[in-house]
Order: sequence, then structure tokens, then C-alpha cells
Amino acid sequence: MALVAYRNLLRSARIAFQGDANVLSAARVEVRKNFESNRHLQTGTEEFQKQIAHAEEVAKFLRENVVQGEATEGDNYKIRIHEHTERGDNEDIKKNKGKTTLGGTKCCSS
Amino acid sequence: MFRTALLRSARSAVRAAPRCQASIARPARAFAQPKQIIPAAYVQAVRSYASSAGLSQDEVQGRIMDLLKNFDKVQDASKLNGESHFHNDLGLDSLDTVEVVMAIEEEFSIEIPDKEADAIHSVKQAVEYILRQPDAH
Repeated sequence: MALVAYRNLLRSARIAFQGDANVLSAARVEVRKNFESNRHLQTGTEEFQKQIAHAEEVAKFLRENVVQGEATEGDNYKIRIHEHTERGDNEDIKKNKGKTTLGGTKCCSS
Repeated sequence: MFRTALLRSARSAVRAAPRCQASIARPARAFAQPKQIIPAAYVQAVRSYASSAGLSQDEVQGRIMDLLKNFDKVQDASKLNGESHFHNDLGLDSLDTVEVVMAIEEEFSIEIPDKEADAIHSVKQAVEYILRQPDAH
């Protein structure tokens, strides 16, 4: 289970930071560090579940809500929006009026 | 409605069948009568898509071993061979194994589903998996 989460996170990082070797390797090191720090957790405990859920959230966030921007001339950035990037349409925006895009839940709480 | 459609397709299939047979039979007839010239394209029209990408076992194994050689967490590179077990021989833990399998994915430009990826624990298993993938290259 933790391995699936780990793999999922590495995949997300690969999507989010494609072609950016520095950030990608930094992300991998960070993911590894966090998994190492929770190595002592027993499978099935509440804390374990919480950390796995956190890992899944981070993976989802990296995949859907992080885009790369490359500086072009002046103050312009070219944004790389990929197939996994979260995209709302007008209806979605009306539906969530007054709420944040995360639907009022706090993401990645630590 | 459905029945007419079915009949129609059956009828067209019947009509198509003899034509099909004729095209298969043709090279045989051509063999009997050497004077008849068959256009080369005609023979090429029958294509086989079943062949693999052409990765040999040695090549796959070599690439996986190169990858492991450059993986800094491998503790004892002298134990690296075609049969090495990631944990027992190379001293990699489960997270390292996930990383190795991900690196193998990148090397061969494929995506290994979780279930299969979890079953890869040795060089031999990885080689076997890659050889089974037609789109690995």
C-alpha cells in the first residue's frame, strides 16, 4: 500500500516536473525523505492511514494542480498544460461559487 | 431493423468471401504459371503485426544491468548478474525496488501497472516482463 502510494507520487512528480531534472530530482529526494521519516509506522494504524492519504493528496495535487511555466520574452510565461491538469468549465465555477477550488477542504494539511 | 442489417451484412460478407479466396489463391496459381507476373506490392499487402519489437534477451538484460550499475544504492555491485535479487543480493529495500522498476519503465518507454510492478523483485523477473511487452523498446 505504501509502495503503491510511493510509486504514484513518483509518477506524479514525473508528470509535473517533466524535463526539469533539478526540480524532479529534488522532488524525488523529498518524497523519499518523507517516506523514510515514516518508516517506523505500523501498517493499518491510524497514523499510517493518515500519512498514506497525505501522500495520495500530494500526488493528486502535483498531477492536477501544478503546471510548469517557462519564461519567454518580457514578463510572459509559456505554461505547459497537460492531459492531467485539472480544468473546470463555466458550470463548475458556478457550482463552487464562494468556495475554493478544493471545495472548502484543506489540502495537504501538515 | 436489426434483422435487415444483419442480413445485409451477411450478404455482403458472402459476396466478399469469394473475392477473398481468389486473392489468396492467386499466388498459388502464379506459382503454377510462372509467366504471370505478380506486382510486388500485392505480396506485401499481407502484413504481419505479430512480430515483437525485436529486443533480444541479452540486450534487455544488459540495459537493466547497466541501469542497476548506475544506481547508487546498490551496495555490492559484484553480486550483479542476470539472476540477482534486488533485496537479497543487491541490498535494496522496497522503496529502492520501486525506484528501480520506475527507472526500468523509463528505460524501455513503457508503463508497468502496479500489480505487475509489485511482482518484479529480481533482474530475471524484470527481463522476463520486458520481453513479454510488445511495445517496449
